[in-house]
Amino acid sequence: MITGIGPVTPIGIGVDAFWENLCAGRSGVRPITAFDASEMKVQIAADVPDFEPERFMDAKSARRMARFAQMAVAAAQLARADAGLDLATVDLERVASVVNTGGGGVTTIAEETRALARRGAGRVGALFVPMMAANMASCQVSMELGLQGPAITGTAACASSIYSFIEAKQIIQYGEADLAFVGGTESNISELGIAGLANMHALSRRNDDPEGASRPFDGERDGFVFGEGAIVCVVESLDAARARGARIYAEVLGGGRTADAHHLTAPRPDGSGAARALRGALHDGGLAPEDVDYICAHGTGTPLNDAAETRAIHAAFGAHAGRLAVSSTKSMTGHLMGSAGALSVAAAALAIHRGLVPPTINLQTPDPECDLDYVPNESRAMPVRAALVNGFGFGGQNGVVALGRVDS
Amino acid sequence: MTIVAEQLRVPSDKVTAESHLLDDLNADSLDVVDLTIALEEEFSSAEQAIEISEEAAAEMRTVQDLITFLEEHGAA
Repeated sequence: MITGIGPVTPIGIGVDAFWENLCAGRSGVRPITAFDASEMKVQIAADVPDFEPERFMDAKSARRMARFAQMAVAAAQLARADAGLDLATVDLERVASVVNTGGGGVTTIAEETRALARRGAGRVGALFVPMMAANMASCQVSMELGLQGPAITGTAACASSIYSFIEAKQIIQYGEADLAFVGGTESNISELGIAGLANMHALSRRNDDPEGASRPFDGERDGFVFGEGAIVCVVESLDAARARGARIYAEVLGGGRTADAHHLTAPRPDGSGAARALRGALHDGGLAPEDVDYICAHGTGTPLNDAAETRAIHAAFGAHAGRLAVSSTKSMTGHLMGSAGALSVAAAALAIHRGLVPPTINLQTPDPECDLDYVPNESRAMPVRAALVNGFGFGGQNGVVALGRVDS
Repeated sequence: MTIVAEQLRVPSDKVTAESHLLDDLNADSLDVVDLTIALEEEFSSAEQAIEISEEAAAEMRTVQDLITFLEEHGAA
């Protein structure tokens, strides 16, 4: 059961700001200010300009964390508050933290490599290793909140934090924990991060139109927009949630994970690997295709992904595909890579709880290869009984989570 | 003193020469090494490099120990 949501995103920090901007179709894509991008091919990103780590932790702790870990801690604190969870009343040895990431501390590695090259080995910081290590996503959440159950950080590129929710469900079902802080984090809007993604032609180069740059399923799409942020949710068993009278946003029904075994970065063109993950999530979640009303798509805005994802949805849903609402939050938030899946899970859980589906913005030019109902440009009030949430990663990792409505 | 306060994220009025790095300023061994690297960076010049060896860093107990070391090694 998802009972708390903590978003630190380019369109808002906290559930209220995030949800309002998501449903209003506001873009969080801006010119890059983290560094001088004037010579870069790509000069736009979806950053979180108003993130102040010291609102969520003391200054000393903040100094000893890279930004991706700071954001994970902030998201976990927001989720705890949103869940109305008093940690003094729970057995902390039965609380897990499962916070995945794509790149972890790549930006810290870049900075310290610069210190090494310019000023020698003696100037590499003593905090370098414990700051850049990817596992600090879950371990800093564990340390700051005092969580002493399993602390796990896995990585599956852009599917990373879809995998978090499947992992957490298994941990709770297996009996290792009663409650978990679950999500993803990513913060690598740096020269190295942007240059690497730009040079592989993954990013939109619509530098003169930041808010129009992320256009999933649109005929004029030219790549994704790199984003940063963290989203952590409180997930607990039904018994634990009911025992403390918690508000339940949605139930994590199940998940499906597959690998394409195909290519470094491109999905299988027929979407068959993703389709197997969709079918796996339906089966694991005990759902028939007709039970699903909404898919929170991976929808990156790259030419290849959006066409392959559309084919995958057709393959898994047959005639019901045309009746699904399918939208991409990335049209507003950019692509948060390691935290993209958790952002989509948060959006789908809120859509189920509030009966409102966020739109896909910047959808103006039809693409014959993208022929589903993408909830163009305006959010839609509709009941959502069950939703699937997609995340597909470089390397061909596919992940789908199934969420269901819980009637009180 | 400013560097010590900045590195250890403590209020600058808490940092005195007598301050014990671990007991008073809540530093751990990682903080002390990181602090010595920052001091090397600050006090080295084109003419003179300041090197605080690991052995020397391990001996640092108070802010005064840092000041004494820097003075003995010709830092401004």
